[in-house]
Amino acid sequence: MSMTLRVVLIMASLLTMLFMLKRIRNAKVQIEDVIFWIIFSVLLIGLSVFPELGDYFAGMLGIYSTVNFVFLFIIFLLLLREFTMTIKVSQMENKIKELTQEIAIKNNIEYQEKESEGDN
Amino acid sequence: MKDLLIIIPAYNEEKSIERVVKNIITNFPEYDYVVVNDGSRDKTAKICKKNGFNYIDLPVNLGLAGAFQTGLKYAYRQGYEYALQYDGDGQHKIEYVDKLLAEIKNGSDIVIGSRFVDKKKPFSLRMLGSMVISFSIWLTTGKKIKDPTSGMRMFNRALLKEFAANLNYGPEPDTISYLLKQGVKVKEVQVEMDERMEGESYLNFSKSMSYMLRMVISILFIQSFRKRDKRYIKTERKV
Repeated sequence: MSMTLRVVLIMASLLTMLFMLKRIRNAKVQIEDVIFWIIFSVLLIGLSVFPELGDYFAGMLGIYSTVNFVFLFIIFLLLLREFTMTIKVSQMENKIKELTQEIAIKNNIEYQEKESEGDN
Repeated sequence: MKDLLIIIPAYNEEKSIERVVKNIITNFPEYDYVVVNDGSRDKTAKICKKNGFNYIDLPVNLGLAGAFQTGLKYAYRQGYEYALQYDGDGQHKIEYVDKLLAEIKNGSDIVIGSRFVDKKKPFSLRMLGSMVISFSIWLTTGKKIKDPTSGMRMFNRALLKEFAANLNYGPEPDTISYLLKQGVKVKEVQVEMDERMEGESYLNFSKSMSYMLRMVISILFIQSFRKRDKRYIKTERKV
């Protein structure tokens, strides 16, 4: 891994962390949702500071260059994230649908009750 | 108007909720309570309705933090002075509520019903987790909380308002750690608890592990970056 790439990775990771912590500071995001990004940043910083780690894993997996391992690693983590996000978004959509239906049906029932009171 | 509201978040507690609530009604009618049914898939809501319990029925599942916060919002709007987080599965013992209430009236902001004030922690995997969290809290705040994962906590009006209105105020050890650092008075009172009798806990093994990781990262790292809303910072203490 070239020195430039290592520095860029470290900078990007630090910026990611900074951005997330700022959101936490202003109570704009839930803590459980930033945990992933904190771990992600720490892992990337680890790989950049100790490139021997990347060399080792690249060798173990039979990947020619360490950089390719780093890319693969990032892709893998982001895919994992994408997978959990898909599930979360799907659950959220379902919850919103249920809430909307619940409110609309309750409104209708309330309205009908008022109507029938008016008739008397 | 009574001054204490017992908040009982309940997720799939059909086997125990009736016993738990009836125990409060018959033996301690001096306390008010509210069951927050957290979108249970079982008969929890039906049982509450049949028995005429005071309950809030969440149409979707929010998780413990969301369900408990619902109870706090209710407590705040109804004007209660104190709120107690109480388990729907029967592991908490109602006879200790008096002790917690006495302590909070003594001037504490948060009182934790703790299993390990006078007694030693037994050694098990679960307790190892508890020790790690205690240690993390001690590292960041310099204060000792012997039973950080106890789910029996009482809050005074100022704190229940803060918990009710804000993001990242889950009823978890990391929030306690954050508030300790902010100078909030947290006290522990010795209580006994029963092992869970029925139902499944919010936590199974793999969830416990990720819970631990989340707590430790949150306590050691994230909490120190938080900024507290100025409205909740006490400038002078009432005598």
